Amino acid sequence: MFDIIAVDISGRHKTGDEYLMVCAAVAASVTADHIEKIKQIAIRSFRSKSSPDIPDVVTMVEETVSELKFGGTIVTEAGDMYNKPQWVIDSMFSSDFKYQESLSERRCIELAHHVSLGARKLLLKELGIQ
Amino acid sequence: MKSAIIVKRNDPRTEDEENELQMNELRELAAAADYKIIGEMVQARHPDRKYHIGRGKVDELAQMVAELCPDKIIFHNPLSTMQVYNLSEICRCETIDKFQLILEIFATRATTHRSKLQVELARLQYELPRARAIISILKKEERPGFMGLGGYEDSYAQDIKNRMIRIRSELETILKDNESLRALRHSRGFSLLALAGYTNAGKSTLFNALVDEEVPARDMLFTTLLPTTRSLNVHGREVLLTDTVGFIEDLPHWMIDAFRSTLDEIFLADVVLLVVDSSESLEIIRKKLLVCHETMWDQLQDVAIVTVFNKMDLISEDELAQRMLSLGYLAPNPVIVSAKTGFGFNELKVQISDLLPKWERISLSFPMSEKGMSIVAWIFAEGIVHSIHYDEKVSIDFEARDKIINKAISLATELS
Repeated sequence: MFDIIAVDISGRHKTGDEYLMVCAAVAASVTADHIEKIKQIAIRSFRSKSSPDIPDVVTMVEETVSELKFGGTIVTEAGDMYNKPQWVIDSMFSSDFKYQESLSERRCIELAHHVSLGARKLLLKELGIQ
Repeated sequence: MKSAIIVKRNDPRTEDEENELQMNELRELAAAADYKIIGEMVQARHPDRKYHIGRGKVDELAQMVAELCPDKIIFHNPLSTMQVYNLSEICRCETIDKFQLILEIFATRATTHRSKLQVELARLQYELPRARAIISILKKEERPGFMGLGGYEDSYAQDIKNRMIRIRSELETILKDNESLRALRHSRGFSLLALAGYTNAGKSTLFNALVDEEVPARDMLFTTLLPTTRSLNVHGREVLLTDTVGFIEDLPHWMIDAFRSTLDEIFLADVVLLVVDSSESLEIIRKKLLVCHETMWDQLQDVAIVTVFNKMDLISEDELAQRMLSLGYLAPNPVIVSAKTGFGFNELKVQISDLLPKWERISLSFPMSEKGMSIVAWIFAEGIVHSIHYDEKVSIDFEARDKIINKAISLATELS
């Protein structure tokens, strides 16, 4: 079993005159093809006037992950990091980082995606933003 | 044998090793389509809108074509219709890209009605977004209407769409037949096993060795296009093993759609045997496993996977152990086998039987009579009998699926 933290960010597009983003981090234990246990989920919202660049994304991910009690390799989709080579992004993180590879890592990111998307929709509804 | 020049444009600052792997795959694909490679050309640059490679390189290519006279120029990178047209015009030679090459291979290998339909659908899906441009180029001399804005393009695109709808509906009928066949096989108590993996991983060789069959297995990409199913005995249980088409890197979604009915054999199986060529280098195995995970992950629902490290006879035990350790996070339930020598088949069967849908075990006893003996014969046919004692009563200890056990209990109660 491997400990991973799957991360996904929703809302990287302009809503009104700003970017309203929600980052979800899912701490889980996985095997190559199955999620064995989901240990904790952390969600954080971020606001920005300009579109996020790679250092911004890294900061958002690190801040969300810091709220988790459990450790593990941070896993994201390559697209979240603008498809930059892994070694470029790896050096920007303070903990282990990799792009999604196995079936279970992809499944965990799918989960993180639904969490961040759902949380963002709820947030927009509460704030009365269409 | 036809001849071809292969061309690849590398993105700047990409890894040489990866580029070489991709070039090698293109060579193998060309060989599978019966092309002799008489020239190669590589350029590192961002894509050119008009020619894909640089203008100077196109002139160099044209010169190469004039000297070597190949039948085709094959590009690794996907080309737009205008790029194909421009390159063909300057080089005076038919130009295709990797996907057209794959379609060509599929077209030559497709022998049954179903595979022909799949290949035709894939070809039309490839052609549809290009249809307007193709017709526009072909008919530029004879356009009808004021300023040449007439209707050839739309009618051709519409024709392609209509043909696609017709083929899809025909494939859907086949899909339904397959689904009902699968349901029938499940209801008859057969569990379904599918061989999956990167192309040329040795799936067909393993299939032949496991079920003693003679499906074509060659050291060539895409030897298998159509699934073949045969029964296999796994520790007393009859399971159905299906050999399927291999995966390949960057397989476009339209090709996956076209081969949906074949790939469903993998996605709807009880256990998937993910075959890996372990004689390749660690990095290549990792990349190929990645492609397999990427192709399967969205479709696979609650299916157990066994990773079969095939061709173990080609490398040392230490090397293999090292590779398996490094690939643990990508290889569920690993088993080492050699389809050529038969090594590891027992362990593979143990692994499969552990992952098959569970059967219940039960002990029953009923009077020895003609009817009782017919129940015994039926239990022998449907389940695995662990022990049986004949006395005044027949005591039988056996394993079977729920449906059989329930029926056996009610038959035994009826008799006693």
